[in-house]
Amino acid sequence: MTLLEIACAVFDRAEKLEVPHMVVGAIASGAYGIARATRDVDLLVSIDPILGIRRLMDDLGDLVAFEHQAQFDTITWGRRWVGRSNSSPPFTVELFELQDDPFCASEFSRRGLRFVPILNREAWLPTAEDVVIQKIRWGRGKDIEDARNVLAVQGPETLDMAYIENWCAAHETTQRLEDILASLPPL
Amino acid sequence: MANLYDHPTALKDLQDSIYREKVIRARAMTLEQRIADVFEMAEVSIHMAHAGALHQLATSDPDEGWRLVAKWNDRLKRAEDYRFFVTERPEVS
Repeated sequence: MTLLEIACAVFDRAEKLEVPHMVVGAIASGAYGIARATRDVDLLVSIDPILGIRRLMDDLGDLVAFEHQAQFDTITWGRRWVGRSNSSPPFTVELFELQDDPFCASEFSRRGLRFVPILNREAWLPTAEDVVIQKIRWGRGKDIEDARNVLAVQGPETLDMAYIENWCAAHETTQRLEDILASLPPL
Repeated sequence: MANLYDHPTALKDLQDSIYREKVIRARAMTLEQRIADVFEMAEVSIHMAHAGALHQLATSDPDEGWRLVAKWNDRLKRAEDYRFFVTERPEVS
C-alpha cells in the first residue's frame, strides 16, 4: 500500500468509528510549510474510553501491526502507539493519545475539517499557529525546520503571533521562537 | 555571485537565496497541493531507498529489499526518538 492509501484507510476507519482525531506530524506541517518526505502517518487521537484509541488500533489490525507497548514522550509524558504497515513499502502509523495537557487540549479544540483532494475526503487539521507551537515545543532538528518553514511560508504577519508567543512563553520556548524568526531571510 | 570561499557572507547569501525560492514556490501552492507534495515525496523517497537496498544486497528480490528498508526505517526512527521517547514513565513522587 502507498502512504496515501494507508492514510486514507486510517482516516476512514477513525471516521467510521467516530473516534475524534487530527492529523499531525509531517503531513500537518507540510500543509502549511514546505513538504518533506516522511515514512509516517501521525494522528493525535482522543483517549475517550468509548471513542478511543484502542478501538481504532483494533480496527486497523488488518493493515497495521501495532507494538504491544506504548512509548512516552519525555516532554509531556503523553503516550504514543507505533505501528508498522503489514504490506510493502514499510510505512509507520503513529497514534498519539490526546492527554491532559493544556496546549494539546487547545490545539485539538481548534482543529478544522478540510477537504483534501488527494485523499478525496475531508481531514481534520490543526491550525498553522498550533503546528508552529507544537514543533517549537518538541525542538528536534526536523521540528525546528518544520516550524521555520511554516512561519516563512505563512508569514508572521498573517499568523496570530500573540497566540504563538503566549504558548511559547508557557512552554519556555520563547528563545527558540525568536531564533527562528531571526533566521528567516527577507522574503 | 561572489566566490563562496572568498566572500564571508557568500555562503549564507546562497543559502538564503535557495531557501527564499523554496518558500516562494510553497506560497504559490494551495494547502491541498502542499499536502499532495508530502505524499508524492514520501513515495519517491521510499522507492529510492528500496533501489538503494536492492543495490546494496545485490539482489532483485523486492521483498528482500523492503526488509532492509524496514530495518533502516527502524534505525532512523530510533535515532530520531532517542531521548524523546521512552518505554517507561518515571514514578511521580
